[in-house]
Amino acid sequence: MPPSNPLPPKENALFKRILRCYEHKQYKNGLKFAKQILSNPKFAEHGETLAMKGLTLNCLGRKDEAYDYVRRGLRNDLKSPVCWHVYGLLQRSDKKYDEAIKCYRNALKWEKENIQILRDLSLLQIQMRDLEGYKDTRYQLFMLRPTQRASWIGFAMSYHLLGDYEMANSILDAFRTHQMKGPYDYEHSELLLYQNMVLAESGQYERALQHLQKFESQILDKLSVKETSGEYYLKLNRFKEAEGIYEDLLKRNPENVLYYSKLIEAKQLIKAEDKVAFFDEYKKQYPKAIAPRRLQLTEAQAQSSFENLVDEYLRHGLYKGIPPLFVDLRSLYADPMKAETIEKLIIQYIDNLAKDCTFGPDPSEVKQPASALLWAYYFAAQHFDHKKDTDRALHYIDAAIEHTPTLIELFIVKGRIYKHAGDPISAYQCLEEAQAMDTADRYVNCKCARYMLRAGHIKRAEEMCAKFTREGVPATENLNEMQCMWFQTEAAASYQRLQQWGEALKKAHEVDRHFSEIMEDQFDFHSYCMRKMTLRSYVGLLRLEDVLRAHPFYFRCARVAVRVYLRLHARPRSDAPQTAEPDTENLAPSELKKLRNKQRKAQRKAEQESALAAQVQVKREQHHKARQQQEQGDPEAPQLDELIPEKLARVEDPLEQALKFLQPLRILAADRIETHLMAFEIYFRKEKPLLMLQCIKRAWRLDSDNPELVDCLVRFQRWLEESLSGLHPNVAAVLKTETQPMVLGRSALQIAEQSVSGAARHAAALWAARALRRLVPDRTEQALRLVTSLDYPDVTIQSCADVLESLREGDFGECEAVIERYVEACSARFPYAIAFKPAPAPEASENHSEETTPLQPKEITANN
Amino acid sequence: MTRAKIELGDVTPHNIKQLKKLNTVVFPVSYNDKFYKDVLEAGELAKLAYYNDIVVGAVCCRIDTSENSRRLYIMTLGCLYPYRRLGMGSMMVKHVLNYVKQDGNFDSIFLHVQVNNEGAIDSYKKFGFEMVETKERYYKRIEPADAHVLQKTIRLPSTPLVNGSVSHTKTNGYDAGSQQNNIMFYL
Repeated sequence: MPPSNPLPPKENALFKRILRCYEHKQYKNGLKFAKQILSNPKFAEHGETLAMKGLTLNCLGRKDEAYDYVRRGLRNDLKSPVCWHVYGLLQRSDKKYDEAIKCYRNALKWEKENIQILRDLSLLQIQMRDLEGYKDTRYQLFMLRPTQRASWIGFAMSYHLLGDYEMANSILDAFRTHQMKGPYDYEHSELLLYQNMVLAESGQYERALQHLQKFESQILDKLSVKETSGEYYLKLNRFKEAEGIYEDLLKRNPENVLYYSKLIEAKQLIKAEDKVAFFDEYKKQYPKAIAPRRLQLTEAQAQSSFENLVDEYLRHGLYKGIPPLFVDLRSLYADPMKAETIEKLIIQYIDNLAKDCTFGPDPSEVKQPASALLWAYYFAAQHFDHKKDTDRALHYIDAAIEHTPTLIELFIVKGRIYKHAGDPISAYQCLEEAQAMDTADRYVNCKCARYMLRAGHIKRAEEMCAKFTREGVPATENLNEMQCMWFQTEAAASYQRLQQWGEALKKAHEVDRHFSEIMEDQFDFHSYCMRKMTLRSYVGLLRLEDVLRAHPFYFRCARVAVRVYLRLHARPRSDAPQTAEPDTENLAPSELKKLRNKQRKAQRKAEQESALAAQVQVKREQHHKARQQQEQGDPEAPQLDELIPEKLARVEDPLEQALKFLQPLRILAADRIETHLMAFEIYFRKEKPLLMLQCIKRAWRLDSDNPELVDCLVRFQRWLEESLSGLHPNVAAVLKTETQPMVLGRSALQIAEQSVSGAARHAAALWAARALRRLVPDRTEQALRLVTSLDYPDVTIQSCADVLESLREGDFGECEAVIERYVEACSARFPYAIAFKPAPAPEASENHSEETTPLQPKEITANN
Repeated sequence: MTRAKIELGDVTPHNIKQLKKLNTVVFPVSYNDKFYKDVLEAGELAKLAYYNDIVVGAVCCRIDTSENSRRLYIMTLGCLYPYRRLGMGSMMVKHVLNYVKQDGNFDSIFLHVQVNNEGAIDSYKKFGFEMVETKERYYKRIEPADAHVLQKTIRLPSTPLVNGSVSHTKTNGYDAGSQQNNIMFYL
């Protein structure tokens, strides 16, 4: 076969038309022309035509055929850059970027200077963060097209991303002096700021400052110039100049908290009194600004001075009726003196307001509006809730509700108090009431849905959200489409508590897919930002995407997924679907009748529901069709497998799946001990000693006292005691040396015993007792004594619920009587917490589905 | 200190629950769903009163065309206890008077008030209302059960009605006093 299979002129013209059709998205026509070439037996195996036919088919959604044709084309013409390029495009449309890069490289082998292929390749390389490769490609593009702006910018940026600031700066300088010719527009201004950013990142603040000053007149973003030069002055210890800059900035915006702290830095104020005096000055200068008044409270250290300041602040807030006043001040509560002072004042206000409508004890003081007392109650309720004094918190919130039952915020706070007291059911009922009072309020709607999820009412939460999602589409579908991650992470956790493993996994996977999608979305910006010159933001975007999965939403959903997969590993779901056919033979006739009635009702309901579902289905299809039409720009997006809860719960390799979720955390959340502890659990089950060691060592570095880590160490040591002899001698030697600093020559039992005797905190007691019982079942009694004691300084609802769950899981063997006594003791300690209430009697009414009592008490814990 | 901000707002399907809550607390009688359904249609005749952005009062009226005249009937007008004597009631009464003036086609405004509710009676008198009648056993479940009828004449009754200028065909379902006992005033 000839290297490049030239077509005769007529066919060649046809081939060109295929290309044109592809570019113009006239896929049907493209196929027609391809057929005209291929139907000629002489060219039936023409590689490039076959490849183009495949690519066109791909755009019509016929993926399998597409791969067949493209591969066949490539086989017939391995030296054709077109075939390789097409194969690369196909892989790219499938998001297989690594493969696509290989294809492009092959294509370039046969056609070194193809601009289009080089450009495509550079996009893939930056997407995959192949920075070296990116630099090479950008260099070639630069050499081929030295007159184009994008060539320069991309070339410079490739060096910047590799940390070669000098080179990047020189390229930008050269470009600026040789290529840029007026007018000094926005893009020019952005380019200068980008260059300045490169200089600053190289640590040469002096140079960056000079650069900024030199080009100040050409830069349009004046605020950026001010802020960055202020920054540089501070870095260079040129405090006088910095002071001037930040004073100017405060004139622009006296509410910017950062400017104040920078100004304090510039003025080199250290002592608390000086800072307080500093804020006094700015309070006078900007009497309407809130920032200086609030910041002053943080800085004030002396009780008398703080009291005066916070008195003024509180009075103003209560007079104005500022709802988030407590949230605003909450961070001050870290200092017990400040918390006490606030408590003293608020109680004094309540007394006086109720008597004379004044804040102070002097009845001749200025009268306050009638709402001031209400807001004082509201503040007090939150204050005592923060102190975990549920009774007084409820007292004040009830007083507020009696005062003004029409204020929605009161019911939200009441719900929050119940939530903190461990009663998610009453909590969500309060939120439901709040929601009903203003059904147009999206915030309350979301809050309410969230509380419902916490209480295990997932269906109701979906219905609640449906009030704000698109009509005609099920709420969950719309929420998924909108990447509504707060809902999905909460729902995942809720399903986990309800032990609906498949559903929990589905939600976790959905969230995971959002993150993948956000990474994908990045692709479009590589060319777009370069064109629009928004280079600073673009670099920011690249850096954000690099650590995207460090986001708390990902952490939470990954944690749910890992725990569920571990659970599924321990207890795989049996394959036989459970039939809930009740035993009808042993029923009394009356009961039988009742049962039949119930079944009939259920059937009728099911019919209604399926009719409704059919309607919804129709609407959904219409919606999808509409969307597909909208999305014709990207018809080649790969279809992901549908997530089916049943399937997910019957996963074959739960540990592998768990690892997939965990992997990003091991890099991006390496500072959280939970990451390593979860990893240990997985590798422990996979019996990978070196990886176990790695996890333990990393966790140890973070917090060697963590009780869960100590338990891991006990289990690891135990495992080594049993299995060390079977390992490769080199591995065994490594394990021995490396564990020594942690194990210190103790046996697993000795470590456990030491942690038992040293258990001063509740969680430590639980882990230690459990380890002891596992190692020496004979010492169950000692373990139980340790674990059921409530004499730890840090006993919380959650920690007691953890203990209870462990008891019920059988970690300490059969101990019904102990559980009963423990529940009693806990419920005396936490009277509101439903985790320690006896299970409610099954609902008598038939109309209540399982939705009414979805939670077993043990699964309900205080979720703060 | 500056004066508190007081203003009126619409009743909508979104916030009707606030009106219900308010009425439950302010009035000793409870109202049925029909009452609230009609309120939603009442436009300017039903208003919430806000004090510093909090709903603290409400007024609900309807047009009464019985007894051969066109009258505005104030069904409820009230305010939460801690916010009384702060001008909320006056604001609502003024709103009603203004409505009647703008409309220009009312003969009178009237309302029922429990006989012991002296505060309300005094306030209405200041706005030119007069006590025209006392109905015994007007309220069914509360004490005292008697009610005064207060009325403010807009157009002298001697002025003959131009025939056909006012629709008399239908009352809108309330039969004041006889069936619903829903007429209360707390100012």
